[in-house]
Parts: sequence; C-alpha cells; structure tokens
Amino acid sequence: MDDFLNLIVEPINELFLRFKTFVPNFLAMLVILLLGILLAYIIKKFLVKFLSAIKFDNWSDRMGFTKLMRQGNLWGKPSQMVGALAFWLLLIVTLMSSLNALQIAVIDNLVNQFFGYIPRLFSSAIILVVGFVLTRFISRAVLITAANSGFHYAKLLADAISTLLLVLIVAMVMEQLQIAPGIVLAAFSIIFGGIVSALVIAFGVGGIPAARRIIEKDVLDKGKEEAKDEIEHI
Amino acid sequence: MTDFYQTGVITTLHQLGKSSLERLESELHGFAKTRPIALVLPALYSEFEGPAMPGIIKELGKVNYLNEIVLALDSASESQFQRVRELMSPIPTEVKIIHNKGKRITEVYETLARNGIDVGVQGKGRSVWMMYGYVLARGRSDVIALHDCDIVTYNRELLARLCYPVANPNLDYVFCKGFYSRVSNKMNGRVTRLLVTPLVRSLQQLVGPHAFLAFLDSFRYALSGEFCMTTELARVNRIPWDWGLEVGSLAEVHRNYSPRRVCQVDIATTYEHKHQILSPDDASKGLMKMAVDICKSVFRTLASEGVVFSDGLFKSLLVTYLRHAEDTIMKYEADATINGLSFDRHEEAKAVETFTNAIAMAAQAFMESPMGTPLIPNWNRVVAAIPDILDMLKMAVEEDNK
Repeated sequence: MDDFLNLIVEPINELFLRFKTFVPNFLAMLVILLLGILLAYIIKKFLVKFLSAIKFDNWSDRMGFTKLMRQGNLWGKPSQMVGALAFWLLLIVTLMSSLNALQIAVIDNLVNQFFGYIPRLFSSAIILVVGFVLTRFISRAVLITAANSGFHYAKLLADAISTLLLVLIVAMVMEQLQIAPGIVLAAFSIIFGGIVSALVIAFGVGGIPAARRIIEKDVLDKGKEEAKDEIEHI
Repeated sequence: MTDFYQTGVITTLHQLGKSSLERLESELHGFAKTRPIALVLPALYSEFEGPAMPGIIKELGKVNYLNEIVLALDSASESQFQRVRELMSPIPTEVKIIHNKGKRITEVYETLARNGIDVGVQGKGRSVWMMYGYVLARGRSDVIALHDCDIVTYNRELLARLCYPVANPNLDYVFCKGFYSRVSNKMNGRVTRLLVTPLVRSLQQLVGPHAFLAFLDSFRYALSGEFCMTTELARVNRIPWDWGLEVGSLAEVHRNYSPRRVCQVDIATTYEHKHQILSPDDASKGLMKMAVDICKSVFRTLASEGVVFSDGLFKSLLVTYLRHAEDTIMKYEADATINGLSFDRHEEAKAVETFTNAIAMAAQAFMESPMGTPLIPNWNRVVAAIPDILDMLKMAVEEDNK
C-alpha cells in the first residue's frame, strides 16, 4: 500500500520541488524583463534627444538615409527610427537574458547562439552604414564630374554606379550575417560576372571598327616606313 | 467685345471676334506633345462642397490636352481626402492630390523646417509652391498652369486661353497672366481697382519712372489668381506664402525675365468667385489683411531694387494714394453708370479708407522690419540644402494616392 502511495506522492513531490526551483527563476526573469524594458525605454529617450541635439536628422536628410527610410514607407524622423531600433534591440537582448535566468538547457543554448551572433550583426550594420555613405559620395562625385564634362547620361551613369555598389554592399552584409553564404556568393558572382561580361562584349564588339582603324593605321605607317627604306640615301 | 490696344511693357492678348474653343484645344493638343502641360489647383475641402468645384471637375473632364493635374488639398481630414479622390476620379487626365494635412506631407514639411527652409504657414502660397515642387519632381511637364478652385463661372475656354501663349512654342512666352472683368450686377475686384492701381501710380509719381512699377502697372488684373508659366520659371521663382503671392510672383518674374517674354491674356467674359469681407477694423483677416500683405510685398520689392523709403515718402504716399483713389472712384462710377451697373459710392469710399489704413500699417511694418516676411525659397535652393527632397515629396504623394 505504501509503495502505491509513494508512486503517487513522489511525482507530486518532484513536481513541487521543480516548481520551487522554477518560481525564483521565473521571478528573476520577470524582474530582468521589467528592468530591461525600463532601461531600453530610458536609453531610447536619451538616444533620440542626443541624436536630435547633434542634428542627426539633418545629416540623414543630406546623406540619403531619410530617403532610404521613405523608400521603405517609413515616415518618422530618422532619430526616432534609430531610437526605436535601439529599443527593440535592447528588448530582444533583455528577453534573451531573462530567458537565461530560467536555466533551461535548450533555452540556454539558444541564448548563447544569439549572443554569439551579435558581433556579426554589429559588423554588418557598420558595413551597411559606411558602405551606404561611400556609395552616396561616389555616386554624387560621378554625377558632378560627368555632368561638368558634358556627358549626356550623367544621371544614368551615377545611378548605375550607385546600384552596383549597393549590390556589392548587400552581398557583403549577407555574407557577414551568414545568410545562405553559398547562394549569395554564387548570385553575386553571376550578377557581377554577367555585368563585366556584358561590358566586355559591348566594348569589344562596339570597338571592332576603332580597333581595325588603329591596326590598319599602324600597318599603313609601317608600310610607309618600309617603302621609305627602299630608297637608298647617299 | 474688347479693344485691341497694347498697354505697358508686356504683351496683351485680347479676346477678339468669336471665340473658337475647338481650334484652341486642337492646337493645344498638338503643342502638348512637345510641351506637356500640368494644371495645378490649390483647393480647400470646403470648395468641393460649394458650387464651384463640381463645375470645374465637369469641365476638366472634357479637356484632353493636359498631361497631369496636381491638386493641393488644405483643411481636409483623411476621410475628406479620400472623398476628394473619389470626386476627382471622373477626370480622364492623371490626377494627383497633395494632402497637406496628411502624415507623409507633414513629414516633408518637417524635413524642410529642420533644415532651415521656412515655407510659411498654411495657405495658397505654400500649396502652390509645393505643387510646383511635385511637378518638378515628376519631370513630366514643361508648362504649368494654375487657377483657383472657387470660380463659379468656370469653363474650359478659360484654361485653354491661359495655357495657349506659353504652350505655343512659336510665341516664346515664359509667363502669362489671365485677366477678366470682375463684373456681376456691380463692379467687384475692389483690391485691384481701388488699391493696387492707385498705389502703383502714386508710387510712380513719387519715386519717378521705375521698371518694376511700369511692369506692375502693365497688368490689367495684377491680382488675378490665374497664370501659366514654364516649369523652369517654377524652379527659379521664390514666392510669398501670404496674400502677397500674386504681386510677389510678378516681382520674381520681372527679376528673372525680360518683359518681352511676359504676356497677359483675356480669359473670360464673366468671372465670379467667393468674395472676402472688407474687415476695416481687423487687420488679421479679410481684404484688410490682403491689402496689408500686398503693400508690404510692393514696398519690399521696390526696396530690394534700390528705392529708399522714408517716413516722409510714406506720408506723401498716403496723401497721393488718397487723391488717386478718389479720382479712380469717380472714373468707375461713370463706367458703372453707362453700363447700367449698380454702384455704391459710399462702400467704395469705405474701401478706400480701409486701404489707406492698410498702406499706413504696411508702411509701419516695413519701417520696423524691412526684411518683413521672407519669401519661400526657390526649389533650386531647397534641393541644394536637401538633395533628396524632390524624391521624398514624390514618394509621399505617390503613397498617399495609392
């Protein structure tokens, strides 16, 4: 009879013990989560104020970040957008940290993977920002130079260069984020290779008459020189 | 039937003989292939509920030479904006509506403000400027025509005659202003008749011959809200955002182009729109406000061209103006009498009194702050400050109109 009772009581006891260890962890998770949300909110507010103070919005307007946001149908201020981004990033970090407090093996593993991924996220963000600024700079420089040289398709050329550089940057970011690196590399190679091949063919085929003229002129000049050499000079 | 006399330094295109709308529209259809025409309309939601806008929409539905219509909608909620889109839908030409109170356009205004571009407060001037920007951003039209949305007597001949001088490549005009007689059973158009013309002539008497005053005096209806111009002009012109819009725009045209490339055209035999109250005791509304803004714009323009204003000049101006205005009343009384129109001389005299006060107030404001109300910068300057602003504006309007 005792054995039978033990069979019933033991699991309940075990459940109770597990619950006793889980509750403090759960409470710790809740506290971390609440504190994290509060901290994220304060940081967001501070960040927005700081960015406004250093005129980040004006800088974004000039550098094309605002336009990029608008293209994504985002119609807030760039500083608020960065603030919101920071808030959600901190919230995710907080959530991961709070889940860590539960001390469940599967979740611990997930959290470790997440924190291991953060450096990649940062480096890709830096590549994206610096790359975008450089692209804008190069594109405008090309536009101004080409327009001043009287090139009719200056805008087209600047847009083409900008697109090519953006493709390159996106490929670098994807590679950094380890999102299907094989496919990204292959796609990039095909696109870039295709463009280069197209240019080679275009210039090659288009340049045949010019090349022929140069070669013919060269041969003709040589012929003249040889003919001259036939005359004996005393 | 009008006369064919040419006045002043600009060209006057009269309405002579029988009108031929079909011929005009057919020619415009041809011109529009090489010089696409955009029509820009500054409107309030209330105008869609009144008698004017339904008539304008009906007439625009029959126009086949326009490339695009851009309407700037002020004082309208989101649901009212959607209602306006529905109301404009029968027009076969592509219509885009700039919802000035919308989330996206508000953000465009904020972008301008944080970059130090002052575009003033809500009003016709700001709306017109924004519509110019949108037409420039799209880059699909070479000619921009503009008329008000409160014209009760609207017919499409008005638009055709307004567009023709600029759209026709053989005439080589860059700016064309519409004129008409503001007559119902009485003479309307008090601000033009009793303020602008006497003021300009008084200034000519006091400061001597002046190119801008001669230019302004050449217009039969300098304050008409209907004009047509090349998009290039829309790019380089700065405009005031207050009631000085019409005079200020003329000042910019005078500054940037030769009067030989400017004309005025008779666009309507009758013209009726909503009337403003005189508001003699309150300079913040009605014709009084309009008069003060116009006077300030004239003073500012003249000062920018080197005319020196002093207390003495302003005192003489008040007296000279009063004399000119009184003489003008007598002329119009005679004109009204021969045409069988009613003429309230007392009301006209009250208007002149109000305008005299307006000149004094404008003079005082000018002496206190000669820079006065700044003009909205031209689009070239704005693009230099914010290179992507036209793209942003285009995206905002396209998204709103999806």
